[in-house]
Amino acid sequence: MPLPAPDMPISDPLLTMEQLAAIDAAGREILERTGLRISDPMVRRRLADSGATVDSTGETVRMPHDWLKTRLADAPRQITLCGRDPDKDLVLGGGRVHFGNGGRVFQILETATRRMRPTVLADIARAACLVDQLPHLQFFIIPCQAHDLPAAHYHLNDFFQAFNNTAKHVMGGCDTVSGARQMHALAAAIAGDAEKLRQRPFVSVITNPISPLTLDAGTLAIIDFCAGRGVPLTCAPAPMAGATAPVTLAGTLVQLHAEALGAVAVIQALHPGAPVLYGAVPSTMDLRRMNLAIGSVETAMLNGAAVALAHRHQLPIYASAGLTDAKVPDAQAGGEKMLSYLLVARAGADYIHLAAGMLDSGNAIAFEQFLIDHEMIGMIQRLRQGIDVTPATLAVEEIVATGPGGNYVLADHTVNHMMTQHFYPQHSVRMPYDLWTREGEPTLVSRSRDQVRTMLANRRDRLDAVCRNQIDKQFPEIRHIEIEENQRT
Amino acid sequence: MSFETLSQTVIKGDMQAAAELTRKALDDGADAQQILDQGLIAAMDVVGRKFAEGAMFVPQMLRSAKTMQQCVEVLKPHFQGAGMTTKGTIILGTVKGDLHDIGKNLVAMMLEGAGFRIVDLGVDVSPAAFVEAVAKENGQIVGMSALLSTTMPAMAETITALTTAGHRETVKIMIGGAPVTADYATSVGADCYAPDAGSAVTEAKRLLDV
Repeated sequence: MPLPAPDMPISDPLLTMEQLAAIDAAGREILERTGLRISDPMVRRRLADSGATVDSTGETVRMPHDWLKTRLADAPRQITLCGRDPDKDLVLGGGRVHFGNGGRVFQILETATRRMRPTVLADIARAACLVDQLPHLQFFIIPCQAHDLPAAHYHLNDFFQAFNNTAKHVMGGCDTVSGARQMHALAAAIAGDAEKLRQRPFVSVITNPISPLTLDAGTLAIIDFCAGRGVPLTCAPAPMAGATAPVTLAGTLVQLHAEALGAVAVIQALHPGAPVLYGAVPSTMDLRRMNLAIGSVETAMLNGAAVALAHRHQLPIYASAGLTDAKVPDAQAGGEKMLSYLLVARAGADYIHLAAGMLDSGNAIAFEQFLIDHEMIGMIQRLRQGIDVTPATLAVEEIVATGPGGNYVLADHTVNHMMTQHFYPQHSVRMPYDLWTREGEPTLVSRSRDQVRTMLANRRDRLDAVCRNQIDKQFPEIRHIEIEENQRT
Repeated sequence: MSFETLSQTVIKGDMQAAAELTRKALDDGADAQQILDQGLIAAMDVVGRKFAEGAMFVPQMLRSAKTMQQCVEVLKPHFQGAGMTTKGTIILGTVKGDLHDIGKNLVAMMLEGAGFRIVDLGVDVSPAAFVEAVAKENGQIVGMSALLSTTMPAMAETITALTTAGHRETVKIMIGGAPVTADYATSVGADCYAPDAGSAVTEAKRLLDV
């Protein structure tokens, strides 16, 4: 199905222009009055050199209006996140909405046993293999922790499995700057050299401030390393309304905006022109028992509203949708996910992560959930295409020719338009009840579970043999694992 | 003397008014123990019940608990010797390598509200710092938190350090955090696992039998 037109109008905004302006101004006021805590003296000095106001006694860096404006002016308005083949490139900032999965969970609901277990390296490979085959997921994020990997060569291994199982753009978090170095060395080897990687960055890195208003030294080191090498970045705040952010939605947006915009400005001050996405992963708490409510309607609203805040500064956004507090693929999961896809996609988010596979308040994935969510995302992309109204689609001649009492089944018009006008789900159930009972009462969930097995059996190495041999020689620390056989999924 | 107004103020979580009322009750000649029992603890019983029913939310319960703490501070000088004791001392911290503290802070607030003395070591706390605090503060429980599955091993390291330092027999260990499970607690030799802040209070009371 063709992608939606870039100029699809945004309908039904969550915020009026006046409300948006008020939140934007309040966020910038926070940066001017309080600023961000920058827990690295060297970075503070570099920010001071660029004209930010560094608190001489503490660790905070305040960002005067003009300083912020100058820094943000350096941020690219359009960012291309490359696939390893150019046909998988994603142009962010051009009005298109892209979906992908998210990370980085610690457990997986096993398809076969339906029990949670800690995630392992093979799960990264399997998830990448699924995303590689799912057309509405256009990028891959390393989804989980590999608990079977020692810390020493961790990121060499998790990024290798990502690259070898999907040719789509890969994004992931790095625990340390030495991890970021491993990722970069590996990606440069695949690209040919570091300059080729800079020209076509097929990998990008996720970092996060700690809400409220803190950028720790380790995160800053990763940012500095990546931005200096042209590796696209986001620094995505995850404030929780009522816990690490004000309980009001507007207040959470103000703080989120200060954190996200402040992080973009810090990165631009360190490396002007570095490709950086405004990041947003806001959520709410259920204050009855202080549980995270990441599938709440308010979380979906916050994520939708964040898109407008980023776009107000012409910054492409690393947005979030598709989270649920449900523990298994159920009705709650479906409703919560769909609500957030709708609000975030209709706001025109450039890059929607966490959109596939997530369960359990962001703590777990399930492979069948990737397929279920993929089907919902297909519906959303269809929705974004809108209703095509042309003389041909108005079909006046067809209606006149058919007249009262006829039908359209055999018409040329039907055959000519049926593939482009409708979205055909793969696994949702559309059949007569009797047939359904005869087929064993399949559901979207059961069909998706069955399909996981088939898709994993289709796994193939996405790096060619020459490249893999060279990588094996250059990086003996890369572990070879069994992905297909004798592995519990 | 009736302490109904004081109780209502504690239930409402009005810190300033409650401290004032406590002072006034003392000035009027009320007995400190009576104020504590009939004014403050009675109020917290109501709060506990309302919370269990879902009629009060966590922020309200924590404000009531904090209000009670402030009133207790007013009462303290009026108790003889060992008359005012806490339920026990709990050393809390987010383990080494982990900078996430909202969960640990919630646990601290809840435990404090329940009458425990809290020594909060903050985030990125090394095993040695836990050991030192147990010795210095005479801690009876060590509570460790981790948000990341990558930092969970620091819990085991801390338990080993406590054992090596000879504290393991005298101190109870409670762990929690998103990736932590009851099985994990057993596997690293912790005494208990608390899945949320409310259960941390229940577990702490059970561990110290208070």
